[in-house]
Amino acid sequence: MGLLKHADVYWKFMGQCTQCGYCKGACSSLENNELTLGGIARAMLDAERGASTIEDLRDAILVNAPLVNAVRGCFFCTSCKNTCFAHNDVCDLIYHARVDFLNLGLIPRESYSSVLVDQEWDIFTAYRAIHGIGYSDLTRHKATETSEAASDCEIAFFPGCSLAAYGPELTREIFACLEECGAGKVTMLDSCCGSSLKSAGFFERAEALCDRNASEIDAAGAKQLVCVCPGCANDMKRALGVRGMDIQVTSLSAFLAEHGFEMKKPLPETPLVFSKSCQNRDGSYLDETRAILGVGEETPAVFKGCCGAGGAVSAFNPDRQAEQADMKLSFVPDGSTVVTMCPTCTYTYAFRQMMSPRDIQSKHYTELLFENQFDWEKVFAQLGGMWYGEYGPWLAQVFN
Amino acid sequence: MTQQTVAIVGFGTAGVNAAIALRNNGYEGKILAVTDGPAVPYSPILTSYYAGGQKTYEECFPWTEAEIDSLNVEILGGCTVEAIDVAAHTLRTTSGEFAYDKCVIATGSNPVTRGFPQVEGFEPLVMRSMDDAQALKDAAADPACKRVLVSGASMVALKTLEACVLRGLDVTLVGMMPHVLDMNALPAAAERFERGLEAMGVSLKLGTTIAGVKVIADDQAYCGRQLEVTFANGDVELFDHVSVAHGMRSNLDFIPAGDLEIDRALLVDEFMRTSNPDVYAAGDVAQALELISGQRRIVGIWKNAALQGACAGSAIAYELAGLPVPASCAFAGSISTNTIVVGDLLFISAGTIELNDDRRVEVCEKLGMLAVYIYEGERLVGFNQVCDNPEDRRLAYDAGGMLTLRIERALK
Repeated sequence: MGLLKHADVYWKFMGQCTQCGYCKGACSSLENNELTLGGIARAMLDAERGASTIEDLRDAILVNAPLVNAVRGCFFCTSCKNTCFAHNDVCDLIYHARVDFLNLGLIPRESYSSVLVDQEWDIFTAYRAIHGIGYSDLTRHKATETSEAASDCEIAFFPGCSLAAYGPELTREIFACLEECGAGKVTMLDSCCGSSLKSAGFFERAEALCDRNASEIDAAGAKQLVCVCPGCANDMKRALGVRGMDIQVTSLSAFLAEHGFEMKKPLPETPLVFSKSCQNRDGSYLDETRAILGVGEETPAVFKGCCGAGGAVSAFNPDRQAEQADMKLSFVPDGSTVVTMCPTCTYTYAFRQMMSPRDIQSKHYTELLFENQFDWEKVFAQLGGMWYGEYGPWLAQVFN
Repeated sequence: MTQQTVAIVGFGTAGVNAAIALRNNGYEGKILAVTDGPAVPYSPILTSYYAGGQKTYEECFPWTEAEIDSLNVEILGGCTVEAIDVAAHTLRTTSGEFAYDKCVIATGSNPVTRGFPQVEGFEPLVMRSMDDAQALKDAAADPACKRVLVSGASMVALKTLEACVLRGLDVTLVGMMPHVLDMNALPAAAERFERGLEAMGVSLKLGTTIAGVKVIADDQAYCGRQLEVTFANGDVELFDHVSVAHGMRSNLDFIPAGDLEIDRALLVDEFMRTSNPDVYAAGDVAQALELISGQRRIVGIWKNAALQGACAGSAIAYELAGLPVPASCAFAGSISTNTIVVGDLLFISAGTIELNDDRRVEVCEKLGMLAVYIYEGERLVGFNQVCDNPEDRRLAYDAGGMLTLRIERALK
């Protein structure tokens, strides 16, 4: 093996890239850094070829600012892949480049310390602990002081990190609704899909987390996993598939539609504009969300890649994240409600709205289906405040 | 122990990827690549871009000399394989005879001019190699060359047409079928594309063919002559040059009849093995699993060549190491996917356009796009998408990527 752990991935990508350059036009990071995807693979291999030690290699990559910016500035939105004649897998390339960056010490571990979701404490678990948010009563496949672990759950509900942390009442309302559907016993998989670990370059840890999730689903006896977020659904579908588990991964919208769900309130009177989640690779989530909301294709959707939250770009370049979010929101007319599918998109847009308010509402689709809502003002106040109150020193210690 | 030799016949996308996979999978023996092309391969996808001035000559080579060198491949460039003897495990070439333990046939395909009448003193242009692109570029650079006829309606014909338009030439396209892109597009999508071509100033003569070409001496014209082209519909027009794109043909002439199982190309299994266990095939010479039909077909696209070459290289590395080839090395099959940009026009397709009683077509027009969906029951099995508004192009790409994934996922 050479100095780069994943040289084979770069070679494979190099082999598949025509160097046509179309990917550059699809991504501001590639364009600004004048790199194609094949160019990233080439630059990694060039650096290795010219280096005799790890230190040489690290230096060679570090002085190549366009390479560093392109690898760390990727949202994993796959806009570049869509323009690629060969549909080459950008995620495989960038994930492995980040692993190599991490191994070479080119990504400071502390920059991701708050999103290492396989540890006891990450930003979500800390927030939940401080604000008393927990779901032990809903995680029925785990034993508590008062109940045995259930292994006869038909449905595992996967709300994902953002919804579980920032929308506890909404999470519980959805859970209750799933139970009312009568499709069988429901348990909650109170975990992360691992995407933030992968984004940070902790590929093996993300896989270990997927193993843990798979074991929990297996222990619960669940036949179906209901996901709120398309990104979680993607990752879990892949993770369960490669582990040979025959579990049906379903979007919440599709599940509710199948069980005759009726919306708890009318849609807002303002025009709706969907923000297509880039993680919703094949668009099926968008279709299913439109269907459960009872709107057709005449309700527009903004594609344009990521909301800005993907790929842990904010830990490297917060301005790029903000610009991306603002760019995507710029396609939402004033007076509209932008409907998101991934709760992290909702969070990101709400944050941008707080920073530079516009006359638009940002709603996750579950907020249109159910009574409970995110209270972003409260969430952001609590998120900011927790660093200064009695928990401040503890947080500073845990995340540094 | 004698060093093992893997011979790669043809060193384009499939051949290079076979070499990469051999090395990535730990094969340290000799790799001998025999190619009638250059030692550092060009991308046939980019040649028309060079002809049109969108790419420099150097940009048409996806791999550098240093990268190819690092694969430690002995390359016999400009060398033609005359025959393979699969029983003796030898290749007879213009540079001598070579023995191999395993062989990858990756000779690709060449353009055919079948249907173009024989014309004494005139050879039409074709578009595949860098030399072909150079010939078109040189012709277009001559101010006396003003009017070009492109014969054919395939992707290659349309890219040739684009190169001519970019060079400021007056272009007419003649196609035997009623519509362009007849292998990839249903009529609704093709018509939209044709409207775009006409808006670019391209003259279309569809549903007819070239019946005859006469060379007329003219001192003031390009190369001192003009071409009087008679079409099957009776029209007669003058052109300065003709480029022909009447399809591609797999390069298999060096395989003795009956030695390997051949249909339209070499029939291969999931590890790209031909009917002889020591001979593999990849790219345009291989007929591998096409997922929608469930049949073995040639799907002559760049990615297939790359993946199949890699599959063959990986499988050989395992076999020569005496190990079973893992299922993860198998070629999973493919669907046809095509993307073409001509000026402001973008066409994306994936899957099939073959219609039968179980399939239905839906046409949807929205924004600057037209989409044609082919369903089998509720399952999407193919689509065409034409976008003629550059402002909607990004959306078209995203939608194209999304639909391609849907087809692929449904097949899994």
